[in-house]
Amino acid sequence: MNGPIKKILVYVDGTEGSITATQYAVVLSRAIRAELSALYVINTRALADLLKARIFIKAEEEEYKQDLEADAGRYLNHVRSLARKKGLAIEAVSVSGSVHQEIKSYVQDHDIDLLIIGELSHVRSRRDEFYNEAERAMRSVSCSVLIVKDEDQVWELYDALK
Amino acid sequence: MALVDLIRPEVIKVPLVSSTKPEVIRELVEVLRDAGKISDVDLVYDALMKRESLGSTGLEQGIAVPHAKTPAVNSLTVALGISPKGIDFQAIDGEASKLFFLLLAPPDQSGPHIEALADIARLTKSQAFFRTLASATTPDEVVELFTED
Repeated sequence: MNGPIKKILVYVDGTEGSITATQYAVVLSRAIRAELSALYVINTRALADLLKARIFIKAEEEEYKQDLEADAGRYLNHVRSLARKKGLAIEAVSVSGSVHQEIKSYVQDHDIDLLIIGELSHVRSRRDEFYNEAERAMRSVSCSVLIVKDEDQVWELYDALK
Repeated sequence: MALVDLIRPEVIKVPLVSSTKPEVIRELVEVLRDAGKISDVDLVYDALMKRESLGSTGLEQGIAVPHAKTPAVNSLTVALGISPKGIDFQAIDGEASKLFFLLLAPPDQSGPHIEALADIARLTKSQAFFRTLASATTPDEVVELFTED
């Protein structure tokens, strides 16, 4: 761990892109002997916004919060499994709040050198409202950001790692 | 998959021909069937109407966001409809609804569902955008309002 990248964070949201990003993060962490963390954010900010906008009723907000907590457990277990299979220790954490703010805070609080995220939308929008949370995080974090592409190639890299 | 990725011409209906809440929900569900996104119209329709029975998803300023979790879809699925005349959707401000964002999500994928709904919640703050969207006359025009390419 003497290189420029000592601590890596991968953002996991359960999408295929974020799982591919995790596989790449495992490969890279092993190659450069960096510490790897994974973060899932339970988007309670969006739940509150949806209640405020009256798109959700209160019972729905509670139901979806429980769903997201269950998702967090499931996806982080999967991430732990991906790392364990390659003999890598990983700190897999879930927090609640605004996704991009929580990613930004985690990066600052844990001295992360590199944030890894999954591929962004191919569709360019005229509307700022459509920047997704990973894209917002990419714009706001203080560290460098790596966007993982090419699912097939990443799978081959991961699979080849002994 | 972001909301903007899902707004394609084949899931847009303009103008809607329905004049009541049950009709417009069924009309949009049938748009999804015709686009090959779902097969069981009744299953999806019932899930949406069940959600509406808990409280209307008709918001202010002519926007409605009927949504439901259903095993009838494998990933987040969206239909968009525009009714220039407006439909009584029991909106919270009592006004007729003109723009309908219908969202379906599988029960185990709440994250993308919430993010897409949050996108719409943010959009509702832009009255100018919704006025422009409500005046669109073709699906391609709608897509063009959302995307750059």
